[in-house]
Amino acid sequence: MLSYGFMQNAIFVSIFISILCPCIGIFLVLRRYSMIGDTLSHASLAGITIGLMTNQNPILGAFLFTSICGALIEFLRGYFKKYTDLILTIVLSLSVGTAITIISSGKLHANADSFMFGSILTVTRFDMVMVLILSLISVLTLILLYHQMIYIAYDEETAKIAGVRVRLINYIFSILVSAAISVSIRIVGVLVLSSMIALPVATALQLGKGFKLTLIFSIVFSVIDILLGLFLSYYLNVAPGGFTALISVAILIIVLIAKKLLSSLRSIRSR
Amino acid sequence: MIKAENLYFSYTGSPPYVLNGINLEIGGGEYISVVGENGSGKSTLMRLILKFIKPTRGNIITQVQRIGYVPQKNDFSNSNFPITVYEMLNSYRRLLKLKDKNMLMEKLGQVGMSDFTGALMGNLSGGQSQKILIARALMGNPDLLILDEPSTGVDIRSQKEIYGFLKKINKENGITIVSVEHNLDAAISNSTLIYHLTDGQGHLCTPRQYADEFLNMKGKVDNTHA
Repeated sequence: MLSYGFMQNAIFVSIFISILCPCIGIFLVLRRYSMIGDTLSHASLAGITIGLMTNQNPILGAFLFTSICGALIEFLRGYFKKYTDLILTIVLSLSVGTAITIISSGKLHANADSFMFGSILTVTRFDMVMVLILSLISVLTLILLYHQMIYIAYDEETAKIAGVRVRLINYIFSILVSAAISVSIRIVGVLVLSSMIALPVATALQLGKGFKLTLIFSIVFSVIDILLGLFLSYYLNVAPGGFTALISVAILIIVLIAKKLLSSLRSIRSR
Repeated sequence: MIKAENLYFSYTGSPPYVLNGINLEIGGGEYISVVGENGSGKSTLMRLILKFIKPTRGNIITQVQRIGYVPQKNDFSNSNFPITVYEMLNSYRRLLKLKDKNMLMEKLGQVGMSDFTGALMGNLSGGQSQKILIARALMGNPDLLILDEPSTGVDIRSQKEIYGFLKKINKENGITIVSVEHNLDAAISNSTLIYHLTDGQGHLCTPRQYADEFLNMKGKVDNTHA
């Protein structure tokens, strides 16, 4: 299996996805914005269809359109302060509406299905270069803004007092989310992409550790989820995206059960 | 240090105003408690001082080098947020661009919490987390410390320790303290001045004057009910 070129490409991309997604996901989950991941992954579908229609690279199209939608969410936040969930509905309508209109027009120069469900066969060398560049820029930006991002998520008002430019960093963050999504759609697919952003973090949160350790465990769970999903989907001949999502849920359930058992054991011992 | 002139604020931008023509001047080294009923505009005034919001009319000037802020525990406290005391303080130190790493332990020592660096913020009691937040606010040696209801969710013993500490740093280090208070005993016992807000308007008085005002008000209410 590992001797196939397409599989090597898929593993290369998967490793980057499994590092990038939880790095972004931890901030989304802790700010209770997990649904933004879902909305923007649907926005990426519109970007893909625009890319395919105009004979441009679909991942680049996804990144640009998703970045615009991410910035739009941030911009609309000022207008709908009391109805923030409405913003996601607006952006979701715009994205899905664009995607369906383009797909149904019959003007696509390629099939968009592989982007919906994820595919390991379609990863091209250009995609790999894009993934590498976007991932490196994203991880470097996250390292640079690490402390600011922690404070915006934990205590935004104190962050403002300490001089953090919250609005600007929120815009940068929405571009990072777009990058993570664009990088991941080839393998994971649009439909289950948000699971890659949220589930490894949800699993790591069960361990009750500090921020840095939670982030490290999120990456570990993410690598396990994606690589297991990739290998098993190959043998079972199913789409990697869906199977990776199932593995993410299974690992979360295992960790929840283990946690419950451990706490029961501890309470028995302490009696 | 803080000067408000003809200060009006309304969340809609038009009347009725939450703050209705406030004139206030706070000098350096004071310990001022801002008191008043719910909805009297205490927190709004504090948010204006912190520049979280802008006045609808009038102006407010805060001339300080650095402000330390202790939020109300229930306001932001994300008890499920996975962050240790060390991570929380160290990230704040980095935001303030303070190079001295020892400052973190020094401030924790001042509030008697040196042994808690590895503890998760969410696992601390109300009193413990309030002390940590005060330690954080003191990083960078602020000349103004603003607290939003510091005794909310804090047990009596910790309240005593916290107010004792605030009084000490006010007297010994000359840090100006502005504390939004619902704890009237604490306001009367610890403050050098009290700013009493009623229906968006306020006046400064000494703790003694405020205690008399309060007893008069209470007497009137008791007589009405009798």
